[in-house]
Amino acid sequence: MNKFKMTAGIIWALVCLLLMIILYFGLGSFSAGLAKLPFMKLNPHASGGEIAQQIAMENCTLTIRKPVFDGLFGERKKGFVQVDWRGNIPEIINDTIDYNMDNSPDFVIGINRLEDKVNLVALNPNVRDVAISTSTSRGWAARVNIYNEK
Amino acid sequence: MDEAIKNLTTRKSFGKSLLYTLPMFLLTFILMTGGRPDFSDRSGTIALLTTFLGLNILYFLMHYTGKTDKFRAILFIVFALTLSFTLIKNTIDIRQTMTYSQGDILECNMPFCHLVIPMLILPAAFTQSIIYPGSILGGFASISAMVVLWLAASVTLGRGFCSWGCFYGGWDDGFSRFRKKPVIRKISDSWKWMPFAVLLMVALTSALALAPTYCDWICPFKAVTEFEQVTGIESAAKAGIFISLFGGLVVVLPVLTKKRTQCSYLCPLGAINTLSNKVTPFTVKIDRQSCNECYKCVQVCPMFALTNDDVKNGNVSIFCTKCGKCVDACPTQAIHYGIKGVPANRMVKFSRNLFLFVSFLFIAVFASGSIITVIKSIVNLFI
Repeated sequence: MNKFKMTAGIIWALVCLLLMIILYFGLGSFSAGLAKLPFMKLNPHASGGEIAQQIAMENCTLTIRKPVFDGLFGERKKGFVQVDWRGNIPEIINDTIDYNMDNSPDFVIGINRLEDKVNLVALNPNVRDVAISTSTSRGWAARVNIYNEK
Repeated sequence: MDEAIKNLTTRKSFGKSLLYTLPMFLLTFILMTGGRPDFSDRSGTIALLTTFLGLNILYFLMHYTGKTDKFRAILFIVFALTLSFTLIKNTIDIRQTMTYSQGDILECNMPFCHLVIPMLILPAAFTQSIIYPGSILGGFASISAMVVLWLAASVTLGRGFCSWGCFYGGWDDGFSRFRKKPVIRKISDSWKWMPFAVLLMVALTSALALAPTYCDWICPFKAVTEFEQVTGIESAAKAGIFISLFGGLVVVLPVLTKKRTQCSYLCPLGAINTLSNKVTPFTVKIDRQSCNECYKCVQVCPMFALTNDDVKNGNVSIFCTKCGKCVDACPTQAIHYGIKGVPANRMVKFSRNLFLFVSFLFIAVFASGSIITVIKSIVNLFI
């Protein structure tokens, strides 16, 4: 038994030696392989959610993402919707957003980029307040807190 | 006894040490240059060659002197310092500041580090997704690459990752070497279980919030990498926590206790790596027959991995990070690197050679990028 344990230990140590040698040579393909696994995608809380609508405006593109209510075990009562402006954005933004795509506006968001001020007018009772309004490398983004309609 | 010690010594002759360094020399050269050395850039060439030679001299000295910890610590501390510099430099190059904004979070531009891993596990299991706003693949410090590196190191080295791979551990390690003798000597051994409590807390809160709570609120190393732009009371409180924990657990307590207190008391990844010590084939063994019970190993252990009872029983606990401090301190060479299944005092040299090769190769290649970046930046100041 002791001899078996000893041999197994040494073999395992040698396997680890091989593993370490191939690790850096294959790091790119190992990482790519790991990235293909089903759980290796960003949670909507991190990514902002899937893109639902893209509206071309005069000098920029308005992107409205799907509302995010994801919880650990299902949907939550509270969530957010993320809106991105990309391109040549005017200093004052004033847009009407229909995030649930029912053809009736849900809120009007006004952003003064120079003064970093944001104003939200809720047209839907499920719209709560502005969680984040910030500049990004491509323009501006805002997250508006909402209640889950379900 | 003296003859036995002489036989066990891991010191090697100059020629033999060179011979043992040769495979490391070749592998690090291939891995650091990608197999196609490019010497067209003067500062890059100087940085590459300095790093390459420095690394291999350290490895050579480990064989030549038979000592491990001193040379490991030099590389480990340099890694921590240069990585922080590289991270800050990258952040400043991209954002012109050391702070990150909410925009960087929304754009998923956050570099990933291994300390986030404990917070990813539950959400990945239940929601099939990653809650960290970083890059899955590609770019600087992607999630996939860091997870692969950590997994491989954990399987091969166990908690050895904490002394041979963690680019934050070098800060603790460095400050724990400031004084010759500790000011605070008596510390309850039970504190070593604290990281498990932290692990449980951050794993649950991150799963419930679907956000990495340790990074958002606790991580002391935000103080030396990047932290949220202070725009209000909440972000100011976070910055206060980061700086206080860094000052307390990474600087003051290691200096006073000569222990790696952040790694021993707080780090949630350290708790997971403790469990990975069950998987690795490498361990530290105590030969009861040659042990004279001087307990020097217990005194020098920076991780609370050894108690007097452990020495009497001939066992090293699963908290061991295989730093080699106890091995170097033992006057009778009773404590040594070993392989699981192989009895203590057998195949001592083979076990050490194998362990050193695996662990040094990991840290050498992992650390080389940031060391080269720093040397190149310094050289560019003069050229």
